[in-house]
Amino acid sequence: MVTIAFKNLALSNAAQRGMPHERICFTPHPVWGKTDAEMYAYLEGNDPVSGKSLMKEVVDVLTQPLTAEESKTGTVTPDVGPPTFIDTSDNLQQYYIDNGMTDFMHIQLPTQEKVDAMLKGTSHHPDEVVGKMCPARGSYPEWSYTVRHVAINAVMAGALPEYLPTILAIASSGVTALSSSTNSFAVAAVINGPIRDKLNMNYGIGAMGPFAQPNAAIGRAWTMVSRNLGSSGTPGQTYLGTFGNSVNYNNLIIPENEKDSPWTPLHVQKGFKPEQNVVSLFVGFSISQGQAGVGLGVKPVPQFHEALRYNMIPFGPLFGALGVLDPLVAQGLVELGFKTKEQLADWLQKNSTISAKDARSTLFGGRWVRDPQTPDDARIPYYAKADSYNFVVVGGQTNPYHMVANMSYRVSVPIDQWA
Amino acid sequence: MNRRKMLSLLGMSPALLAASRAEAAKTKTKTTKPMAGAGKIEALNPKGIPPPIQLVPMAPRLKSLDGKTIYLVSDGFPGADHFLAQVGLWFKKNMPDVTTVYRLKAGAFADDDPKLNAEIKAKGNAVIMAIGH
Repeated sequence: MVTIAFKNLALSNAAQRGMPHERICFTPHPVWGKTDAEMYAYLEGNDPVSGKSLMKEVVDVLTQPLTAEESKTGTVTPDVGPPTFIDTSDNLQQYYIDNGMTDFMHIQLPTQEKVDAMLKGTSHHPDEVVGKMCPARGSYPEWSYTVRHVAINAVMAGALPEYLPTILAIASSGVTALSSSTNSFAVAAVINGPIRDKLNMNYGIGAMGPFAQPNAAIGRAWTMVSRNLGSSGTPGQTYLGTFGNSVNYNNLIIPENEKDSPWTPLHVQKGFKPEQNVVSLFVGFSISQGQAGVGLGVKPVPQFHEALRYNMIPFGPLFGALGVLDPLVAQGLVELGFKTKEQLADWLQKNSTISAKDARSTLFGGRWVRDPQTPDDARIPYYAKADSYNFVVVGGQTNPYHMVANMSYRVSVPIDQWA
Repeated sequence: MNRRKMLSLLGMSPALLAASRAEAAKTKTKTTKPMAGAGKIEALNPKGIPPPIQLVPMAPRLKSLDGKTIYLVSDGFPGADHFLAQVGLWFKKNMPDVTTVYRLKAGAFADDDPKLNAEIKAKGNAVIMAIGH
């Protein structure tokens, strides 16, 4: 029995798992927040898809003999269409949009000539398999893709050939930018190493805005890759985010401002050498401003750590915490005694707590308070481990501002292996 | 959208699905080289490689539910436990010969739960799984 909001998801998922005729009965949506009487009324009513009496239908699907189609065995290879499309430029632009292959904005058409030029950005063979991806691991079949597939999508996103190794590194992670979750998740890619300057990435003023080609195109390519190679981003089937998220257009691309940061760069924290080029990926809810945090008006040194703690209060345990700090904030935190990112993480882990009573009342209460004997007034850490907190320094020092993201670190991928 | 139309839109014969719209592609595109001077260009398909799908035959059905045990399984989404309690109540009122057993599946919603599956095979006759919230 599936609530009607997940109709297409249920049908497509069943089919992709080999049961295209699975017997599914649908109920109205939602059941969450409804009274027992309201839910019982659902059962006494009709299936909103078939129009039949719901519980009679339930009994029927359990007792009516299988049809020949329902008993079929064998293997079927899905068809993703012809290798090329031929039409005028305008018609092709509309065709790619109409068939869900873009972010609904115009693309650079992936002609063979453009793709060949893009492939010069890597030494890897075009037919080499790069990775696997799906909208939510474990919930959907994983699609695979080659260097050529990634190059096609990089062209569509407006990337230059020198961006390709970074895009391949992201694609190789298998992390989709378009999670199927109803939560409308966002993703972030923190880029470290000399490649930031080699590609002329912006890590100063407006770094996370639409003000630099590599930042914009690499981020957009991640979304293209997710849609076309990771089978993500079809609303109702592989994307269920109730609001959607404008961050998904080109994602949070954050080249760390290493030269103005007083701290160790993120990739070195993750075990790489400073001269290595690395992209580190984060997944979670999204990102929000930090200017309203308590302690920022304290003089002469604003209490940035208190502001971070305050701004992370709405965070839930589903994901960790990512602090995005202007270099002025990082320098201020050093003055406050936080000589390393790790010291800041330790302080936040020890000082960010919620009462067991409040934790239990949240949607994620079971993740926070596992022992039913825990007293209501016990203080529960937001995160059990300090490494749930990560920080990246970026920005142009026009003001000591920070942002906070309820996002978890996923993986760091060396970019150079895809050069 | 009905199942057949969605199957077609997703690029599969009505017997199968894939997350693409290749049926539409077949009607609008050609795979031959464009003719010179035709004002047309050729662009590459950006789609990746879906895995082959192994068709799974569905379990045989029961002749009747009389005297049978039906497991009511929640995947853990909010509200599913209360909803299934109402399903159990419906059977008690309308088909009292049916026994229902509620279970919360272990792990995340898409995770397999071999222990529960084994229990159902040993003790149950049918399963109703609730998905949604």
